[in-house]
Amino acid sequence: MIILALDALDLHLVKKFNCKSLMQKECGQTDISEFKLERTVVLWASFLTGKNMEAEIPVKGQWEFKLKKEETFLKFFNSPKAIDVPAYSLREKNHVEERRLLKAYFDDKASVEEHDRVVWKNHEENKKLLFQSLGKFDLVLSYFDLADAVGHLSFGILSKMKEVYEELENLAKRVKDEDDFTLIISDHGMKAVGRYGDHTRNGFYSLNKTMGLNVPKITDFYQVIRGVAE
Amino acid sequence: MTSHLQELENKSIAIIREAKAQFKNLAVLWSTGKDSTTSLWLCKKAFFGRIPFPVIHIDTGYKFPEIYKFRDKVAQEWGFNLLVAKNEEAIEKGMSPEKGRFECCTLLKTEALKDLIEREKFDALILSIRRDEHGIRGKERYFSPRDEEFKWDYKNQPAEMWDLYVKPAEDYSHMRVHPILHWTEFEVWQYVKQEGLPVNPLYFAIDGKRYRSLGCQPCTIPIPSNAKTIDQIVEELRTSKISERAGRAQDKEKAYMMQKLRALGYM
Repeated sequence: MIILALDALDLHLVKKFNCKSLMQKECGQTDISEFKLERTVVLWASFLTGKNMEAEIPVKGQWEFKLKKEETFLKFFNSPKAIDVPAYSLREKNHVEERRLLKAYFDDKASVEEHDRVVWKNHEENKKLLFQSLGKFDLVLSYFDLADAVGHLSFGILSKMKEVYEELENLAKRVKDEDDFTLIISDHGMKAVGRYGDHTRNGFYSLNKTMGLNVPKITDFYQVIRGVAE
Repeated sequence: MTSHLQELENKSIAIIREAKAQFKNLAVLWSTGKDSTTSLWLCKKAFFGRIPFPVIHIDTGYKFPEIYKFRDKVAQEWGFNLLVAKNEEAIEKGMSPEKGRFECCTLLKTEALKDLIEREKFDALILSIRRDEHGIRGKERYFSPRDEEFKWDYKNQPAEMWDLYVKPAEDYSHMRVHPILHWTEFEVWQYVKQEGLPVNPLYFAIDGKRYRSLGCQPCTIPIPSNAKTIDQIVEELRTSKISERAGRAQDKEKAYMMQKLRALGYM
């Protein structure tokens, strides 16, 4: 099984840019309205555990929060590989640097370009790790924050988001025939606030099989993944 | 008048007259800056020298002294009905930019205006935004509906083809009317000169600096400039690579995003 966890991937832009590989056979929105805030770590932790983890993860220190394998659906696999997954295997150094530059931008100490350069560099590193792992594990769960990180500072600039979505579309195209079951999922969507991007209450999902999921919750995928694994 | 400025003026006056005809209770917002003073002048011209609706000035209590002086002088000379929107309660409680620029703007500008709209039951407001000011303003319409929270649904706006400006039948709290949406900063200054409009002295350079966009005193900084007359400002704009709002501390959107990202734990 391959799971591409694409932070902030938004169905509207997937359709707008006609990203067929991202859409796969079945695609739609997920409903995260049960969460008070669309926090990345909380949403991915909830995806991994099948439980709403909002109360268990305070804002302060959330990036350091880590689940054990036994608490997640990874336990259903013999040889799972999780690359840079929030609440599980986050590559902390990279994300600390991205957040530092995000703050520096709002403090007028760094440009959008400086921020984006680091985000793209980290994206390339994760891509390399993903392709090194394909075919070697029974589950490859790989996280990419490109759409979220670039989107927060530039979601209102369509040409920039087109570049991001084309990159993610190419990524999906390269993995699509690598496994019997491929899930592409985001934690939340995004909407423009001026040039910036704010989280929305609808995530994205797509499958390379038709399962007829009807606006599932992010926690619903725990059982879906378990079913496929077993 | 050049034919180009004449065309701009004609369209703006048509929009103002259309707004007056379509809405029961119209008002115009005036910050005393070059854009809203231009709109005020266009309103005067549209109705043959008398502005037939109230003029609203939002007073945050943090404006430059020159703004208050200019406001009172022009209001007296032009003889319009000036309404001042002020959130006295928030000012008394000590709200200031130091407590958060986004919160400060929300309470002292947005809430003050909301209260006045509710009290006076305005169904449309004339604002002097321009498409060239800011990327997001490029998406604006001349007639732009707002909901009760002042939210603007830019993906669901009425089409404005063939200069037809139509108010939606329902689902809006008040309409924003933008008569100078199609003007540029350069054209506004050319028009100000041509019509001999009064200009807030903050726009003219003192000791190598001038204000290019006027806001509240703590959140506005001057840009380097030696332009001491309108001609010099026009000349400066021909070659300037500095954005018009460079001297404004925060865009509303930037302030909102910073606050939201903090809440989400990114910063």
